[in-house]
Amino acid sequence: MLIRGRCWKFGDNIPTDQIVRSDRVLLPMDEIVTHVLENYNPDFAKSVHPGDILVAGKHFGQSSGRAIAPKAIKATGVGAVIVEYAARLFYRNCFEIGLPILECTGITEMVNEGDLLSVDLVKGVIRNESTGDKCRAKPIDPFLMAMLDAGGLIALAENLSEQQ
Amino acid sequence: MNLIEKILARASGRKSVSPGDVVVANVDTLLLHDLSGYLTARVFENEVKRPMRYPDRVVMVFDHHFSPPSEERAQMLEENRAFARRHGIHLFDCGSGNIHHVGVRHGFVRPGTIVVGSDSHTPVHGTLGCFAAGLGNNSHAAMVMPFGKAWFRVPETIQIKLYGSQRPGVVPRDVALWLTGQIGEGGAVYKALHFDGTFIKNLDVWDRWLFPLITIDVGGKCGFIEPDEKTIDFVRRITDRHFDVVHSDEGTDYAEVREYDISELEPQVAASPTLGNVKPVCEFVGKPIQWAELGGHGGGRLEDIRQAAEILKGRRIDPRVKFNIVPSSRQVFAEALREGLVDILFEAGCTWFPPSTGSNQAINMGAMADTEAMISTHARNFPGRNGSPKAMMYLGSAYTVAASALNGQITDPRQYLV
Repeated sequence: MLIRGRCWKFGDNIPTDQIVRSDRVLLPMDEIVTHVLENYNPDFAKSVHPGDILVAGKHFGQSSGRAIAPKAIKATGVGAVIVEYAARLFYRNCFEIGLPILECTGITEMVNEGDLLSVDLVKGVIRNESTGDKCRAKPIDPFLMAMLDAGGLIALAENLSEQQ
Repeated sequence: MNLIEKILARASGRKSVSPGDVVVANVDTLLLHDLSGYLTARVFENEVKRPMRYPDRVVMVFDHHFSPPSEERAQMLEENRAFARRHGIHLFDCGSGNIHHVGVRHGFVRPGTIVVGSDSHTPVHGTLGCFAAGLGNNSHAAMVMPFGKAWFRVPETIQIKLYGSQRPGVVPRDVALWLTGQIGEGGAVYKALHFDGTFIKNLDVWDRWLFPLITIDVGGKCGFIEPDEKTIDFVRRITDRHFDVVHSDEGTDYAEVREYDISELEPQVAASPTLGNVKPVCEFVGKPIQWAELGGHGGGRLEDIRQAAEILKGRRIDPRVKFNIVPSSRQVFAEALREGLVDILFEAGCTWFPPSTGSNQAINMGAMADTEAMISTHARNFPGRNGSPKAMMYLGSAYTVAASALNGQITDPRQYLV
């Protein structure tokens, strides 16, 4: 699976509360999506294009485990998230809802806002086409890769039940 | 194998498991609160679309709303009640207490079991020798309802050995706050944390509880304490439901062992924006606060209320401060009443709130304007959780919270404890 898009870059330790504010979680998704990460970059939700790549620093998605956070990022059209490392609940929820996420030490050093990036999920290779740099992400567990391929946990369980 | 590995192996029908294995394991209890329960119920009915096969394992606690603050939220709770009736799950309505305290006090958490939840602080249940992990408030949690199972990657385990004894005026919450800074935010991502050592062994269960509580905020998957006589006695007094205690094998390997001597610690305060910003109280002394609270996921225990009463007995809080006391369960309020603590704190100028999760996320209380600051026994201090992202949240022990409420500014509690 190859994903190619412009880089939107965010910092370290961003909690789920700041991806989607807790008083907005009951709103319809088309409203939530216009506020994603607005405290860090008000232009992001307005200007992000389908397939763009969200890059962030350490412990991305910490605090309350809310799948609404990856769901909202997915709804912006972001094709993949690449972080130095993710909070485990955020990481888990990304696969369950079908949003590709890679962990890659040094990624924030290697990319700048607006760079054109391409990501090969299977090989775990990330290329910065604007600078020519490339790096390798932590491999994705085969069980999680199958979950992504199916489109999320519910679809995976559906497939597995049919096979039995 | 250690306790976590043995529980996961047993629940997934395997002889053994190793770190890195992915297993699909039987789950004993799924804990949901009001808001996450609502979201999870929607996923269950609209996306999963399968029958509820395990209603007896599903527990919903209205804890972020002790009373609905708006028509919209009243409607949400009504839909939760209808969901509970439709599917026959356990429901604890407004005023029951905090999700985790209610779960424990009604026997849903027992040694050797698997407890999962939509709340990120679910790992706290490892205190009783469980495998307990948060799943987030969405699709996966709803999958427990038809399947009774969840997927887990077996984590590597770090042993955290605490030893030494506390100086006067220093309490287990100070140690837990400090330890969060020592391990670091993201210092244990995806790891299991085995809290161990003479300091932990000597604590009573509700003080031990403060340690697995920090697991999520250092990035961990689950935390646990090896069950002993205190644990078994504690659970036996609550429930006659069956449980099999699981112990770690002798001499199990750890990915890492970290040892800490807590003997020199002073009272600690963790200031916004993150839990890693924790320092001795002296570095914050004099910072103004307008709000004080015993509440949130870790607070409002009987131990916290006793500490506040010890400081405030016969004294009055600063008239500019609003000090809200939120018992973590109805049992805690009943006991506080019996011990005369309700009266002592009322006379000191405090306000008693219903058993709940208090102002965690400011859903039914505790929102702040951008110029305000609070000191509390909450589990978190991230910006925007209590109203304005500019408002400050300081976390401290109940001693430090009470002493600060006396003066309208952060105060070292030890001057009141001689």
